[in-house]
Amino acid sequence: MHAVTDAGTEARRRRARRTALIAGVVAVAIFVLSILQALNA
Amino acid sequence: MAHAATHDHHDHHGAPKGFFQRWVMSTNHKDIGTLYLIFSLTMFFIGGAFAMVIRAELFKPGLQLVQPYFFNEMTTMHALVMIFGAIMPSFVGLANWMIPLMVGAPDMALPRMNNLSFWIMPFAFILLLSTLFMPGGGPAGGWTMYPPLSLQGESIAYTIFAIHLMGISSIMGAINIIATILNMRAPGMDLLKMPVFVWSWLITAFLLIAVMPVLAGAVTMLLTDKYFHTNFFNAAGGGDPVLFQHIFWFFGHPEVYIMILPAFGIISEIIPTFARKPIFGYRAMVFAIASIAFLSFIVWAHHMFAVGLPMGAEIFFMYATMLIAVPTGVKVFNWVSTMWGGSMTFETPMLFSIAFVILFTIGGFSGLMLALAPADFQYHDTYFVVAHFHYVLVTGAAFSIMAAAYYWLPKWSGNMYSETWGKVHFWSSVISVNVLFFPQHFLGLAGMPRRIPDYNVAFANFNMISSIGGFWFGASQLIFLGVVIHCVFFSKKRAADRSWEGARGLEWTVPSPAPFHTFDVPPVIHDDELAHGNTEH
Repeated sequence: MHAVTDAGTEARRRRARRTALIAGVVAVAIFVLSILQALNA
Repeated sequence: MAHAATHDHHDHHGAPKGFFQRWVMSTNHKDIGTLYLIFSLTMFFIGGAFAMVIRAELFKPGLQLVQPYFFNEMTTMHALVMIFGAIMPSFVGLANWMIPLMVGAPDMALPRMNNLSFWIMPFAFILLLSTLFMPGGGPAGGWTMYPPLSLQGESIAYTIFAIHLMGISSIMGAINIIATILNMRAPGMDLLKMPVFVWSWLITAFLLIAVMPVLAGAVTMLLTDKYFHTNFFNAAGGGDPVLFQHIFWFFGHPEVYIMILPAFGIISEIIPTFARKPIFGYRAMVFAIASIAFLSFIVWAHHMFAVGLPMGAEIFFMYATMLIAVPTGVKVFNWVSTMWGGSMTFETPMLFSIAFVILFTIGGFSGLMLALAPADFQYHDTYFVVAHFHYVLVTGAAFSIMAAAYYWLPKWSGNMYSETWGKVHFWSSVISVNVLFFPQHFLGLAGMPRRIPDYNVAFANFNMISSIGGFWFGASQLIFLGVVIHCVFFSKKRAADRSWEGARGLEWTVPSPAPFHTFDVPPVIHDDELAHGNTEH
């Protein structure tokens, strides 16, 4: 990965990692829910 | 807008020298975009070869070339390869290449995950394609994998694992795109200043995160039904096979929009460039994409009208489906209005874009016909459906990808493609694709079922015409391959930074070919140079 030294870009990257974590948790939750709702059907 | 060349020459940070380091270990969005595009083109030809087998078998009535089970394998694999291997990865490739350039970001937000999400794909497809050589053969129950039919073969476990891998890849790609667009934009690149292509991908990425896990859940339950004696979809054990259809299409219908919303974005970039006008109704275009995405979640059962739904459900899903025509109509109106009064020229990307607008609209109209629940009982599982979704996915999605390739090839390669051969490719494709798919409307209306290797002699003529169109369309894509290879490796005509006179937006401020690293220092955004003009007015 190309090293980025610009402080603003680094801050944006940190925020991006947090966004990605939230999106990943949402994806896993939807996967689990899709099976749980079938168990209740 | 500042010329990005001032901060693009970073020789000390050039591309890695070794092949392995450069391509296998790559974290560069342009290289990974190139890998996605090469992979999807390869899968396009593999999926196309399966289609040639299908059309060769259907050239004449009677069993001609292949056994019925192999024919079913071909229809199943053609769909899986084209949807998950060709169309989706090519859009992800375009997103990788263009989104950072369009929003002024130095790279995707998560470069290492970007590498992983690409390199999962070849393994997923090797696994899927290897089932064709296994005892018992590959999956043959259709790409929809309805139980109990899909559970009869032994290869279903491999298919499900391959689908899980593709899904993980798609979700990681979507997460990366969302994280990039929401966080990595250059200062001043507000959300409502982004190009429509970026907007279309942001909304598509949300769709992917919402529905790919649902597909993963559905196929996981198939797997446990097959091997762990659960009864999610087994009626004999108290399960419900129709439940699978509901879950599958809750994924499957938004999936259709995953394959067309980025196409809308591409066309919204190309038409303004060659009409030399900002796009008509920028905000309306963005809201229309968002509306289509929202509606895509409440229409899934229109794929199941014939399964025996309650009357109220049939009526709800019929009207909800027809509502989608409203935002889609807004988009078609705005593309036409952008061209209206424009100083138009007809280079190859524009030709493909105009063909997209006309032919995708035909696919949209046949979709409206299918949305009518009473009529759908007649059309269901006929060649009319095959004609409909091929107008949407071939003359829609695939044409937009070809338009994008011609449009951005000069930026990617630094060379101009042969306009003459590009136009030969366009005219050959646009005529042959209609010879291929238009007669299938008539076959469907006359009652020819889909997914059959043999048919009544009454359908012989239109099938022969369709097959001739199919072979012609397949051969035409070899021209595309030739044009791309010539452009990248042999073309002597160098591309300007702003390769098209009417092109606007950040991607045209960097040199052609785009340097290995761009926008290490965020560019200054000037509203009047935005892709779609100053949207404040």
